[in-house]
Amino acid sequence: MASRLCRLIRPAVAGLARCSQMPRRATAALQHVRFDSTTAGESLKPTIKNVAQTVEIAQLEKFGHYVAENLPKFVQEVRISAGDELDILVHPEGIFPTISFLKNHHTGQFLNIIDITTMDVPTRKYRFEMIYMLMSLHFNSRIKVRSYTDELTPVDSITSEFHGANWMEREVWDMFGVFFANHPDLRRILTDYGFEGHPFRKDFPLSGYVEVRYDDEERRVVVEPLELAQEFRKFEYSSPWETFPKFRLTEGDPETPAPKEPEAKS
Amino acid sequence: MASLAVRSWCAKRLLPMVIPSRSCSEIRSEGLSPIEWTEDTKNIVITPAEEAELRILVKETTDLSSLSGVPEEHIKTRHVRIFSPARNAMQSGSFNTNRWSIEFDNRERWENPCMGWVSTADPLSNLNVDFINAEDAATFCEKNGWSYYIEKKQVATFKPKSYGANFSWNKRTRLTTK
Amino acid sequence: MASKVVLRGIQEVKPILSVNKTESRRRALNLYRAWYRQLPYIVTNFHIPLTTTQCKSRLRSQFNKNKDLKDLRVIDMLVIKGQMELMETVNNWKQRNHVMQLFDDFSAASKSKDFLSKFYEGHEQ
Repeated sequence: MASRLCRLIRPAVAGLARCSQMPRRATAALQHVRFDSTTAGESLKPTIKNVAQTVEIAQLEKFGHYVAENLPKFVQEVRISAGDELDILVHPEGIFPTISFLKNHHTGQFLNIIDITTMDVPTRKYRFEMIYMLMSLHFNSRIKVRSYTDELTPVDSITSEFHGANWMEREVWDMFGVFFANHPDLRRILTDYGFEGHPFRKDFPLSGYVEVRYDDEERRVVVEPLELAQEFRKFEYSSPWETFPKFRLTEGDPETPAPKEPEAKS
Repeated sequence: MASLAVRSWCAKRLLPMVIPSRSCSEIRSEGLSPIEWTEDTKNIVITPAEEAELRILVKETTDLSSLSGVPEEHIKTRHVRIFSPARNAMQSGSFNTNRWSIEFDNRERWENPCMGWVSTADPLSNLNVDFINAEDAATFCEKNGWSYYIEKKQVATFKPKSYGANFSWNKRTRLTTK
Repeated sequence: MASKVVLRGIQEVKPILSVNKTESRRRALNLYRAWYRQLPYIVTNFHIPLTTTQCKSRLRSQFNKNKDLKDLRVIDMLVIKGQMELMETVNNWKQRNHVMQLFDDFSAASKSKDFLSKFYEGHEQ
């Protein structure tokens, strides 16, 4: 019975296989079926980032300009980075207003805070670049709000707008030492009690400054100045050939917005 | 627990930082009562709008060494060399030679008695921070309380030479031996 | 908003907490007082092998280390960090070894620095 069924199916399957240009070697019917059922053709595509269509980018740009028009006091620049990501560069005073605008305005509805992070660039006057990543489930869209600060300038906390920002801000405080004003519970989150310094700063050495061990005589864990059994060796890994001249970091780099005071209210 | 942190930052600007009593022990709370304030500061209320406008005057360069977490013995005693890294001698590409880096003075190194490795107690020897120009690096060192000196960059001068110039009719390139 | 007077080497910045010297002084003193009053409990709680008086002199020296600071923001930041440390200690989030880090200069001084111990460690000096 089964063999008769197979005989019936085989021509049809063979025809299918011919249509989809499958390798001729696979003669058994079941093998053909297996090849047809998988989407081998699609998975052979190179794994590159699928950059959005120009229409979508135009839409992002439009939304960015809309935000800039609504918050002219704070927004310094709107740009599309990495192909299809919308960045809004704001004055540090404008972090909270911008984020609450994006969250609460009907055309944005960025109700999810994805992450808050910081980038340390010691050569800049305002060395920390604050990055807030937001997502709008409603419009299936993401946005980044970027700003800047230094070691001593407090940044307004956005915890009253996003409760999820609480731990993220504590993380930034702990790792970079950026102080968040109005945070309800700002204290360390990742480092050990008594730890000094902020490990994600560029001037924090890879090894840290202290080492910790259990001392038998003291009967407790003691912290001592670091002693490396083998010193780190220095290698120059970067190529002497310029690979991305387009991304050359020079003075007046567009990524470092000139700090400007917010204009007076009109 | 949350109430124990530095909270109500805005509203309590003029109030002292109060450490609230712990409910579990009354004895503890004795030492933790808020200190008394003078009448003039007690009743001042600052609105959030005024809060945002507040500014103070400080010096342009501030020494942050007390905040940076660098141990004291690595602040006062260290000397930083600010330099522009030389070109790789093995290749002619000159990329990455326009940046400036900082490097600390050498500290004691010794041979590890067990393995013969080169040991050190200097955490700053493996620090790698790059800057766009020497001034930024200098400001950075000032901020961290390190003394520094800027090493002048060696710029290679290009002297055009040609073999044909040896036979030029109007230059005194050929010296007579007579 | 921004004053028109341009002073050399002076910049106008956003304060962290204190807007004048008196306020920051009060904050620092307040923190000192809080630590001072908590020290007896800390000493008993964490079995610190020092007397309260010794701990108090240690506390004083720690505060005195920063007595020359001028920038209000730096003072504020230090006060905030000190406050966090105090909270961690008073709430028993810290363990004994963390608290002992604050007093470790004493134990470091008692560590033997004779020739042989250095020789065993492999140091020259």
